[in-house]
Amino acid sequence: MAVREAEPVETLEQVKDAGLDREDLLEIYRNMLITRGIEERGHILYKQGKIPGSFYTGRGNEGSAVGVATAMGPNDVGTPLQRDMGVHVTRGIEPWRVFAQYMGRDDGPTRGRDGNVHMGDARLGLHTMVSHLPAMLPVAVGMALAFKIRDERRVAVAWCGEGASSRGDAHEGMNLAGVHRLPVVFVIDNNQWAYSTPSHLEYAVEHLADRAAAYGFDGVVVDGTDVLAVYREAKRAIEKARDGGGPTLVESVTLRMEGHAVHDDAFYVPKELFEEWARRDPIERFRSWLRDTGSMGDAEEDELTAGVKRLLHEAMQKAEESPLPDPATVTDGVFATADELETPHHR
Amino acid sequence: MAEKTYLQAISDGLRQEMQRDQRVFVLGEDVGVYGGAFKVTQGFQEEFGAHRVLDMPLSETAIVGGSTGAALMGMRPVAEMQFADFVSCAWDHLVTVAAKQRYRAGTPIPIVLRLPSGGGFSGGPFHSQNPESSFAHIPGLKVVCPATPEDAKGLLATAIEDPNPVLYFEHKHLYRRIKGEVPDERFTTPFGKARVHREGDDITVITWGAMVYTADEAAGRLADDGLSVEVLDLRTLIPWDREAVLESVARCSKVLVLHEDTKTGGFGAEIAATIAEHAFEQLDAPVRRVAAPDSPVPFAPSLEKAFIPQVDDVAAALRELAAY
Amino acid sequence: MSTGTQVEVVMPQMGVSVSEGTITRWLKQPGEAVTLDEPLLEISTDKVDTEVPSPGEGVLAEIRVQEGETVEVGSVLAVIAPEGAAAAEPEPATAPPAAESQAPEATTETEPIAPAAAGAPAPQTSPPPVPQASPPPEPQPQPAAQAGPETPGASAADVGSPAQQTHAEPQAGNGRTFVSPVVARIAAEHGVDPGAVAGTGQGGRVTKKDILAFIESGATAPPAQQPAAEPAAPAPQQPPVEAPVSTPEPQVAPAPQAAPAPPATPVAPPQPPPQAPPAPTPPPTPVVPVARGPEPVQPPSPTGEWEEPMNAMRRGIAEHMRRSLDTSAHVTSAIEVDMSKVVAARERLKQEYQRAYGVNPTYLAFVTKAAVETLRDWPWVNGELRGEKIVTRSFVNVGVAVSLEEGKGLIVPVIRNAQDLNLLGIARAIADVAERARTKKLMPDDVQGGTFTITNPGGYGTFHGTPVISQPQAAILGTYALVKRPWVVQDELGQDVIAIRPMMNITLTYDHRLVDGAYSGGFLRDLRARLEHWDGE
Repeated sequence: MAVREAEPVETLEQVKDAGLDREDLLEIYRNMLITRGIEERGHILYKQGKIPGSFYTGRGNEGSAVGVATAMGPNDVGTPLQRDMGVHVTRGIEPWRVFAQYMGRDDGPTRGRDGNVHMGDARLGLHTMVSHLPAMLPVAVGMALAFKIRDERRVAVAWCGEGASSRGDAHEGMNLAGVHRLPVVFVIDNNQWAYSTPSHLEYAVEHLADRAAAYGFDGVVVDGTDVLAVYREAKRAIEKARDGGGPTLVESVTLRMEGHAVHDDAFYVPKELFEEWARRDPIERFRSWLRDTGSMGDAEEDELTAGVKRLLHEAMQKAEESPLPDPATVTDGVFATADELETPHHR
Repeated sequence: MAEKTYLQAISDGLRQEMQRDQRVFVLGEDVGVYGGAFKVTQGFQEEFGAHRVLDMPLSETAIVGGSTGAALMGMRPVAEMQFADFVSCAWDHLVTVAAKQRYRAGTPIPIVLRLPSGGGFSGGPFHSQNPESSFAHIPGLKVVCPATPEDAKGLLATAIEDPNPVLYFEHKHLYRRIKGEVPDERFTTPFGKARVHREGDDITVITWGAMVYTADEAAGRLADDGLSVEVLDLRTLIPWDREAVLESVARCSKVLVLHEDTKTGGFGAEIAATIAEHAFEQLDAPVRRVAAPDSPVPFAPSLEKAFIPQVDDVAAALRELAAY
Repeated sequence: MSTGTQVEVVMPQMGVSVSEGTITRWLKQPGEAVTLDEPLLEISTDKVDTEVPSPGEGVLAEIRVQEGETVEVGSVLAVIAPEGAAAAEPEPATAPPAAESQAPEATTETEPIAPAAAGAPAPQTSPPPVPQASPPPEPQPQPAAQAGPETPGASAADVGSPAQQTHAEPQAGNGRTFVSPVVARIAAEHGVDPGAVAGTGQGGRVTKKDILAFIESGATAPPAQQPAAEPAAPAPQQPPVEAPVSTPEPQVAPAPQAAPAPPATPVAPPQPPPQAPPAPTPPPTPVVPVARGPEPVQPPSPTGEWEEPMNAMRRGIAEHMRRSLDTSAHVTSAIEVDMSKVVAARERLKQEYQRAYGVNPTYLAFVTKAAVETLRDWPWVNGELRGEKIVTRSFVNVGVAVSLEEGKGLIVPVIRNAQDLNLLGIARAIADVAERARTKKLMPDDVQGGTFTITNPGGYGTFHGTPVISQPQAAILGTYALVKRPWVVQDELGQDVIAIRPMMNITLTYDHRLVDGAYSGGFLRDLRARLEHWDGE
């Protein structure tokens, strides 16, 4: 159970082996564009005073998020974190609802009760994160537990940052998953900075994937800016879990290309690091690959980009129309009622 | 109908639920092979299989957090904390995720935590607590404290049915000491409905859990002196039966709130404040509280006796109230 | 993002704990064109420096905050006007729906002080903790002197106070007077004075059991009358004439003074049409149907007799009447007064007073004015027997009985220092206190401290009566129906002729311990003289 470093995906052949066709590739690209578009627009909105609270995005993580999410099956579930907007987008969230969520409107997935990327549509198999990271990791493990008990071929994906991995919840969750060989895949988004804390102050091993052995399963390190490589590793891990092979720890390495949140300018990150990783921007990287190896031409690209732009523009307008939540409902929904349990959402 | 101990009622009730609904499963430390530290799940693994009666690692967060995840996927986990005291290890999860998920994300979390609570047998600071009030304070959690075998069974069934996280405090000291008639068939006991354990007119004692018996004994002593003391068993704290309490207070006009948990910030404070707010004109004496003093639960028997409210303590307080 | 309306540029919140920001540089100047999302200005906050992209499209119309200035998050920094369009309301930076927290209006409506409940006739009894009004003149002999706590205010206080006062534990020695909330409530509801109950609680405190037992043995059933027992209650009634005299009723306060009770119903609503003021009926023998209280329920009775419990008000009245009659030596003298001059004066003044002052000069006002002046010369009628001493005063606080709406009894607000008022002043004062009595706005002061009382029962045409004195006063004046009678007068030749004159009988009921017949005769004669020679003001 040594740690393996994943190789990049280069040829179309490898892509086919990984199970993707051309449509899938374009879809991946589109999802990455939408992800970035949403977050960039979010930044602007925030600075225009339209988004309250604070604002977190995952610039630089689009490839990792979209890559893993693309590898998930339709009935799989997951607990993504704040750098993983790409997961929500890939699983099918409508962008206008994301904007509504950002602006605290009634049509956001949490109806104004939580903000920013603390959202998750259970119908898409995604469950809302909390701030105490990685509190949702044991929850994802619990989901996998349910699948195991019922003998279902479904997988749970648990996201975690390299900072969050330091907390006990990660240990307890992974340990439990290893002990019971549960169908869960742990994805550590290692973007090298937990707010202002660099990796060497966060953990003492060389790779976080090293820890997998401690829990009795395999770990793999992958270049998070290579969406196809991420996809391939995630796919392997997910299918292994689905087949009863137990958990895998996938450490996806990127650089957090901006501050911890929009109010942080990351002055503590060496400029050279930004420059170096900017050259490895996942979207730009995939775009080049698509143009070179995937034969994406101008027309196709333009249509794609224009389409995304239009989608986001309309989404923004629709979100603006969503009403603010009614203050009178502030205590509504603290407790669930019995009739809420028997719904398809509850899967 | 059969006479059962409090523990048997819980065990039988849980078994009945697992037979009735495949989604119900048990997880906790030593619950499988060992049958549970207090033997509540004895025989369960043989009957239901190791996939429904899970021996978990020593990880309260994983147990409780895992329960939440399983519940999100449609299961009905009944997690056991070996001692209620250990639930503090999962406090973060309960308060951060379980309590708030329905409100924020619209997804119900139907989990039950069984919490063997209470002292009286030199368990010391970490095996004797009644940590109900800190959870009662968190919106989104329900808190249940049965005192009788019948209620233990009925409330457990209701807890399992409830789509919200329920903290079910089963008082260890009642496990084998208390027996009662329990219906054989499945039944549910509603949350938020108190039960008159003993009728009276002169003073009413609002209490729950093991203290119900302490109050009853103290009331018996006062009855010998011609004083009629009512004992109202709340049965559940969140939600709690305000109407019954206020009605009892209106009738008796003198009230004692009694709980085994420590006094400051104990749930009795909430009850006392509510009475003062809503039944001021019914009061013929100040609202009294009798509870454990503000200290960790001591180990030595002599100290523990000074900590846990005794029948003498309750009787004395009742007499003071009667004379007021 | 709207077009066609102005857009405000606001200071963004760069981080949860950030509350303000400073403008470091405007990238555009007023008049310049601006496109959506184009960087508009640069700001600096505690956490970070950043650009603010334009939220609107058009022309930068106005800059409101200059470079270098620091403003709070959310402040409007500038306004962008759409190209060419007339600016409409600046659209709020945040959107639509009412963000206003509809904060629930948590208003607690505070009830007017006099919760009905107060009604407590709270027999104040002796030294209630809160002597609401402990009227200064402590007429020792009579507890409760002074205006009964009919006033809502008073009552409320009365009742409430004991409870509130309580913070001292009974042990503190206040045992006897400490009343717990439930006892206070029960006392109020039943019109019982806790002081009259034997207490078995700590320090002799009256417990709930004690008072319930007391009620059980004495009275039962709370006053049917509802109005929450208030004796005092409310609303004076309108139909003056009616004067529900129910004499029996009047009185709210069972106990205390309630002075007037005696007079019973003087109704005198100030306003009322002159009609003859109904005669006050003597307390005993209530004849009037008047509303009263509880319609007795008459189940079939084998003996032909029924029993029902007395209500609080009734009990209070009974007690008060008895006490007053037991204290003073009640004697009544009467006089007939030719009111023609007063009638004429009234006609003259009516319109003017109404128009200029909104006040009706009633007969009561005339009589009151005349009486107050006359008291100057006959001070003992305005005096008091206090123990072994005779008290006389330089001032007259005249109580004017006002009847409250059906069954609710009587209240006697006091017009202080009436000696300083002219007719208009008295008319206004009467109108004012009557109004306040009816609308429950009387203050404790308004019903205390009376030195003399005038009662004016109306409506029934009585021509004579013997009201009961309001302790600790020395006398009470009663006025009766104004009736046209044939009267013997002198013509210009000095010969006797019969004329039709408006006649009013007036009685003075006085305490013969202090005031003798001759003295009272002198008072009445002078009073008559003033009225019969009224020249109007």
